[in-house]
Amino acid sequence: MKDPVALGPIELSASEAGAPDAGALFQRLGAHNGLRATGRAVVAVLLAFAVTAIPILISGKSPIAAYWALLHGAFGSFDHVAFALNKSTPYILTAVGVALCFRAQIINIGGEGQIAVGGLAASWVALNCGDLPSLLAIVLALAAGAVAGALWAGIAAVIRLTRGVHEVLSTLLLNFVGVLLVSEALNGAMGEAGAGFPQSPMFDEAVRLPTLFSGYDLHVGLIIALVVTGCAQFLLWRTRFGFQLRLLGGSRAAAAYAGVSFAGGVIGVMLLGGGLAGLAGGIEVLGVHYRLIEGFSLGFGFTGVAVALLAAANPLAVVPAGLFFGFLQAGALAMQREVGVPSSLVYVIQGFSIVFVLCAIGLDRRWQRV
Amino acid sequence: MATAASDAALDCKRPALEESVLPALLEMRGIVKTYGAVCANRSVDLDVREGCVVGLLGENGSGKSTLMKVLFGMIRPDSGRILFQGRALAGHSPREAIAAGIGMIHQHFTLVEAMTVTENVMLGWAAAGAVLKPAEIAARIEATSRTYGLAVDPHAIVATLSFGLRQRVEIVKAILRGAKLLILDEPTSNLSPPEVAGLLGVIRRLREERHSVIFISHKLAEVIEICDEVVVLRDGAVSGRTPIAEATREGLARMMVERDLSAPVTRSARAPGQAVLAVEGLTRRDASGATRLSEIGFTVQAGEILAVAGVDGNGQADLLDTLAGILPAHSGRILLDGRDITRMSVRRRLAAGLAYIPIDRGGTSLVPGMTIADNLAMRDFDRPPLARGPLLDPGAMRARANERIAAFDIRAPHGDVQARTLSGGNQQKIVLAREIGRKPRLLLAFQPTWGLDPGAARFVIDQLLLLRDEGGAILYVSAELEEVLTLGDRIAVLSNGRLSSPEPRAEVDVTRIGLMMAGAA
Ligand SMILES: Nc1ncnc2c1ncn2[C@@H]1O[C@H](COP(=O)(O)OP(=O)(O)OP(=O)(O)O)[C@@H](O)[C@H]1O
Ligand SMILES: [Mg+2]
Repeated sequence: MKDPVALGPIELSASEAGAPDAGALFQRLGAHNGLRATGRAVVAVLLAFAVTAIPILISGKSPIAAYWALLHGAFGSFDHVAFALNKSTPYILTAVGVALCFRAQIINIGGEGQIAVGGLAASWVALNCGDLPSLLAIVLALAAGAVAGALWAGIAAVIRLTRGVHEVLSTLLLNFVGVLLVSEALNGAMGEAGAGFPQSPMFDEAVRLPTLFSGYDLHVGLIIALVVTGCAQFLLWRTRFGFQLRLLGGSRAAAAYAGVSFAGGVIGVMLLGGGLAGLAGGIEVLGVHYRLIEGFSLGFGFTGVAVALLAAANPLAVVPAGLFFGFLQAGALAMQREVGVPSSLVYVIQGFSIVFVLCAIGLDRRWQRV
Repeated sequence: MATAASDAALDCKRPALEESVLPALLEMRGIVKTYGAVCANRSVDLDVREGCVVGLLGENGSGKSTLMKVLFGMIRPDSGRILFQGRALAGHSPREAIAAGIGMIHQHFTLVEAMTVTENVMLGWAAAGAVLKPAEIAARIEATSRTYGLAVDPHAIVATLSFGLRQRVEIVKAILRGAKLLILDEPTSNLSPPEVAGLLGVIRRLREERHSVIFISHKLAEVIEICDEVVVLRDGAVSGRTPIAEATREGLARMMVERDLSAPVTRSARAPGQAVLAVEGLTRRDASGATRLSEIGFTVQAGEILAVAGVDGNGQADLLDTLAGILPAHSGRILLDGRDITRMSVRRRLAAGLAYIPIDRGGTSLVPGMTIADNLAMRDFDRPPLARGPLLDPGAMRARANERIAAFDIRAPHGDVQARTLSGGNQQKIVLAREIGRKPRLLLAFQPTWGLDPGAARFVIDQLLLLRDEGGAILYVSAELEEVLTLGDRIAVLSNGRLSSPEPRAEVDVTRIGLMMAGAA
C-alpha cells in the first residue's frame, strides 16, 4: 500500500529530474543516481563512525586513537592491504549475487550455506584432482564450488516454486545445513587424521590460487571478483535476462503482463547468486586457508547481505562497499591490539552504516530506478 | 485572469447562499514548482470558497496534480503562499494538511485491504485515541455515511469492496478527520457510470454541508454538472477561470488547448474481412470456484472494432486477461487468425500479433521506476529489433523511445527519465504508444482513454480507427456507453460473465443496451 503520509515533505526527486544538459547527460550515463547513492553511503559511514565514538568514549578510550589504529591496521603496510583485499573478496562476490537477487525482489540470505558447500566442493576437488595441470585443477575446483553453491540455492528456489515457502526462510535454514555438512565432512572422510581440529589436509601447491605479486598473500580472487562484478552490471542493464530481473523486481504483475516467467527469474537469479557465493567459498579455501576448516564461512553470508544493502543492490557499488567491510575488519584487530578497544566494535560501525544507509534508501526507495 | 471583482460576483450554485458572498476558505498565491527544466506550476493562484466545488481542468501534464500535491504538503513549492482558513500553510506535511482540514483522495488508495473499514479509518488517526473504541468509531462512520449518502458498511473488509466503494471509504476517512476541503484528483476515471452518478451525489451533499471540493477531471460534462466554478491550467499557468454558468464545453476546451476538438469522428465504410479473433465457449472460474466467464463466443474480423459495454466487475478484466494469456481458460477455444492460441504463452501470443492495453490499477501495464524507454520496450524486449541474441540493443531502444514519444506526444524531456516523473495521462500514453505502436493484428483495449485529456483521447480514438482501417481487429471494452457507441462497428454487452450477441451499430437500441449493462435484460 502506498501511504502518501509516509512520503512526508521530502521531495528528493527534484534534483533527480536533472537539468536538461548536464543533468540529462549524467542520467544517461547512470552516473547521477550513482553520485547520489555514493554521497548517501559516505555520509552514512561517517555517521556510523561518529556514533560509534560514543561507546569508545564511555569505555574510557580515545576514539581518535582507536580510529587511527584502525586505519593503520588496515592500510599500514602492503601486507595489511593484501590481507584486507583478500578479506573483501568473498564479500564482494557474495554481495553481487545477493544484489542481483534483490533487484528481482528475491531475498536470498543463504550466502553462508552457499559459501560453505562451495568451499566443501572445491576442497573435495582440490584433494582429489590427482596430478591434473595446475590451472585446470584450479578451474575445476572453483567451478565445482560455484556449481555446489548454485545447487544449494536452487533447492530454496525449487521449494519456493513448488511449495510456496518463502526464500527468506528456506535460505536461512539451509545455512545451518550447509555449515553442518562441512563439519560432517571434516569429522569424517575429509578430515585430517590426528589434527585435533576439524580441518582437511593441506592442498597441493598446484591447486592453491596464485598470488598477484610474489612475496605477498594477495591472490587472484580479487581480480575474479572485479571481473564478476563488471559482468553482473552488464547482465543487469544490457541483457534480456537482466531486463527480466528488473521487471520482476519492478512489479510482478507487470512481469506477468510482459510474459516474463516468475519461475524462470527465481531459478535463474538464485542459481546465479548461489553460484557466486559458492565461488567465493572456493576462492576462500584455495586462496587463503589452502585447506577446508570448520567455520571458515562464519558470518560471510550475512556480511554479503550487508554489503549488498550498503551498495543499495547496485553491482558496481558492491566493490567499494565490500572493500569498506574488508578493510574495517582487517583494521579491527590492530585497534584491539594497540588501543585495547574490542575488535567487535567494528561490527557496531558496520551495523550503524547499514542502518543509516537503509534510512536514506527508505526515504527515497520509491524513486530508485529499477 | 480573474480579478477580485469577478471573484466576488461568482455565483455558487448553492441556492440558500446565492446572494451572500461565501467566505474564502483557501487562497493559493504565486505557486511555482519546477522539476529541473520542467516548470510544472508557474505562479498559479487558486481560490476556493466555503461550500463551493471548484473544477480544475487542463491538458495532461498541465500541472494539476502538482498543484494539489503542493496544497496537501506532499511536495514543497519553490515559492508561493498558501492561506487556508486564514492561516498560512508553509513547509507543511500531509499530516499537518489533514490537521488543518484538508483531505486528499488519491487515485491509488491508501487502504489496507485485509482490514475492515472501521480499522482503516482508525489507522494512523491520533484522535481515535490510544485505546481504540471500534464500536464508537463504527457508529460515527455509520452516521457520517448516512449524512453524506455514502452507504459505507463499517464492518466490511476492504478487499471485498468495489473500486467505487473504496473511494467512499477514503471520503469517510477524510471527513471524519475533519476535512473542510476535499481534493479529488481524477476521482471518476476508474468509475462506471452509475458509480460516477453516485459520487456526484456525494459531492452535492458535501457542498450542502458547507464542505468545499476541488474536483479534477478530464470529462467536461461532469465538470459542468457538478462544479460551481472552473479553473483551467495550461502549461503550468492559469489560462482561464469562469463561473460555471458562463462555461460551455467548447469554451472550456479552447481554454485548455487553443485547438478545436469538435470535428466529428470520421469513419470509413467497412468491408467485412476474415475473422482475426474467434472465441468459442470460453469459460473461466476464479480461485474460489465462482464462474467469471461463462460460455463466451464471438468473432472479431479484420478491419472491425467490436465494442463491449459493461459495468465494471462483470468479467471484463477476466475476459481480456484470458485472451491475452495472463489468466488460464478452463474450457473453450481462442483462435487468432485461425491458429489455436488457447494454451499459448503470453510471449508467443505477443509474437503472433496480439496487443493488450489493460486497465491499470497499479503497476500492471507500467513500471513507474523504469525509464520510459524500458517501459516502451517492456513487451518486446526479447525480440529483434530491441534484442540481439541474449543482449539488449540500447541504441534501438532509445530510437524507439524517441520515435514513440514524438508520435504520441508524450510530454517528457527524453526516454531515459523514469515513468513516474510523468503526469498520469502521459503515463497512460506510454502504454498506448507501446501497444498501438506495435501495429498488432488484434488489439485488446480496456478503457484506453482513461486519464487522457480530451485532445489526447481524441488522438487515441483516431489511432484506433486508423488501425481498424488498415485491417487490424480491435476488441474495445469500456463502461462508457458514449465511447462504445462512437467506436464500435458491432456492439455487445458483457453482464455477469455472459456476452450478448453482437449487433451492428446501425441496429443498436441504446435504451436496451443500457438496461443490459445494468443486468436487467
Ligand atoms: N517527480 C517528478 N519529476 C519530474 N517531473 C515531474 C515530476 N512530477 C511531475 N512532473 C512533471 O510536471 C508536469 C506536471 O505534471 P502533473 O502531474 O501535475 O500534471 P497533471 O496536470 O496532473 O496531468 P494529468 O492530467 O496527465 O494527470 C509534467 O510535465 C510532469 O512530467
Ligand atoms: Mg494528474
